[in-house]
Amino acid sequence: MSSDSQETETETQTGTESGAGATVELADGVEHQVAMVMDLNKCIGCQTCTVACKTLWTEGGGREYMYWNNVETKPGRGYPRDWEEKGGGFESAEQANQEDVHGEREVGELPSAEDWGRPWEFNHEDVMYDGSDESLRPQGPEPEWGPNWDEDQGAGEFPNSYYFYLPRICNHCTHPSCAEACPRKALYKREEDGIVLVDQERCRGYRYCVEGCPYNKVHFNVLSKKSEKCIFCYPRKEAEGPDDEVRPPACATECPPQLRLVGFLDDEDGPIYKLVEEWEVALRLHPEFHTEPNVYYVPPFAPPQHDDEGETVGVERIPRTYLEELFGEQVHEALDTIERERERVERGGESELMELLTTTDMAEQYRLEAFE
Amino acid sequence: MTDDGPSTRTVLLALAVVTVAAVAPTLVAARPANEIPVEEDPPDAEALAEPAGDAWGRVPAADVALASAESSVPNAEDTSVEAVTVRAAQTDGSLFVRLSWDDATADAFTPGAENRTPDVTTFWDAAAIQLPANTSAHPGIAMGSDRTMVNVWYWSAPNTSQELLAGGPGTTTPVGDPAVQTSASYEDGTWHVVFERTLQVDDAGENRTTIEGERDVDVALAVWNGSNAERSGQKAVSEWQYFPLGPGAEGPPYATILWIVAGLAIAVVIVATVLGVQRT
Ligand code: SF4
Ligand code: SF4
Repeated sequence: MSSDSQETETETQTGTESGAGATVELADGVEHQVAMVMDLNKCIGCQTCTVACKTLWTEGGGREYMYWNNVETKPGRGYPRDWEEKGGGFESAEQANQEDVHGEREVGELPSAEDWGRPWEFNHEDVMYDGSDESLRPQGPEPEWGPNWDEDQGAGEFPNSYYFYLPRICNHCTHPSCAEACPRKALYKREEDGIVLVDQERCRGYRYCVEGCPYNKVHFNVLSKKSEKCIFCYPRKEAEGPDDEVRPPACATECPPQLRLVGFLDDEDGPIYKLVEEWEVALRLHPEFHTEPNVYYVPPFAPPQHDDEGETVGVERIPRTYLEELFGEQVHEALDTIERERERVERGGESELMELLTTTDMAEQYRLEAFE
Repeated sequence: MTDDGPSTRTVLLALAVVTVAAVAPTLVAARPANEIPVEEDPPDAEALAEPAGDAWGRVPAADVALASAESSVPNAEDTSVEAVTVRAAQTDGSLFVRLSWDDATADAFTPGAENRTPDVTTFWDAAAIQLPANTSAHPGIAMGSDRTMVNVWYWSAPNTSQELLAGGPGTTTPVGDPAVQTSASYEDGTWHVVFERTLQVDDAGENRTTIEGERDVDVALAVWNGSNAERSGQKAVSEWQYFPLGPGAEGPPYATILWIVAGLAIAVVIVATVLGVQRT
């Protein structure tokens, strides 16, 4: 398969030189790369982001089942169900016996309508207006799965059960396997900001992108017979609203605890660059898929485990091994760094990292005009 | 007449028999392997748009073998349809081509079932006819190239049609204002799909194949089985065939065969005459 337009020479950020100010490498032909950092310690699972996205982009017309932004409980099977096991992305260079950054593209599996969850029709009309005594519930066949079906289930045993929320959008990857999977090159990375889009004119509904994205962030619209995905709210970024204001994606602005930072990875004065490249505490989800995501997560902490008497014991509640499964080996250093800096502040010291993670300055948090 | 008379006659007779025996089968199967005959003005021509209509019963058929296309898409070698039966007929205004093939499952987005939640894993059965955009060129079988474009008539279940232009895999682009219509039927495990192309088109030779009887027209066929997730380059395709639409209704192969027969007959007559003269 020819894939020249999507071929990149990006190197994975090894993260060994903290604070060394390594310049970011972007995908070939991309001038700047939009990026997002989500601090998982702040997510309350309220789904405001999900609803903001849904009302903006995916309300109808074959998009009923789609959540370009979803929030899933971890540990959990996620959206679509078991997406982490469906394949896609690239093999590692070692697996493929190559000297490159990564190996061959892996063909993934197409999630079924049941995996995504069918959109439910509710009896709103009957209950709210026609005086029916029925309870409000999905109509039609009894649902057996849906987005967020295993909400708050998590893992572990009382009193040491644990879970956290993981909001997910398309990662606008530096090396998007969705784009490489398309024989028509209908998916492309915008030169100006690296946003990954599906050209609706070129798409012929083959769905190689859907099975090619290891994060399952491309959706198929059965009515238009074309693929669709998160667009990083580019019309908002381009100030296309009535007030001509540049706005970050709706999932970010609507978030009650304001846990998302939006800007450019290569904006060296911005908090994203500092958190990802300098402090190395914002990490890629499943780096082993080798698509080089541009959404980064600050890994979650939880209170330590309790014994039967409710006394704190010195054991971490969320097993490191699980966090390592999600965020790779770097998670250990990231958590240690945050812990160290937190203690520094507790002792009355100053910490740039803590400042970055707790800022309420919107101008710092949203820097989409950094290069204008 | 001498003693050796009968034996000479036997030789002559044998020669004639051998000649006929050699030529007769060629006459019967006069159609070259990759020719798809085009019936001119068959009876009931108005009914040709009906995919399962009787009008098609009177049009000769060509069985064309299909095999998995060479392609870089996943599972390209996994295709399920092995042959397609092609019938073609021409009227004053149109060329009709009917493709028929066996497929145990009709993968169609059935009208009337729109309220059923459509399935994101459904792929639709489809078929296509590929012709050189310029009939004097010989594009590669895999959708031509940017210099030798192909014109593709595409049908997808239950009944969407598109006219496409392509210059290599992954480049198909719809041609505006299609001059191709399709109709399809599915019965007892067999799809019949009729493609109708108006003979006169505006941009013939550029984006659209010229079908005006000036030359033979190369044609290749493709079928996708939706329930096997076939789409894009995962398809069963034929080699290049041709419609004998060039000058002379019989086409060049017929003429050649007739000349051979005539030549052999003349040779036999000459030999017979010479032998006869020698003996008198
Ligand atoms: S997350 Fe998936 S859909 Fe988004 S750019 Fe990466 S590979 Fe493509
Ligand atoms: S709006 Fe914010 S807090 Fe609520 S679920 Fe989304 S990311 Fe989490």
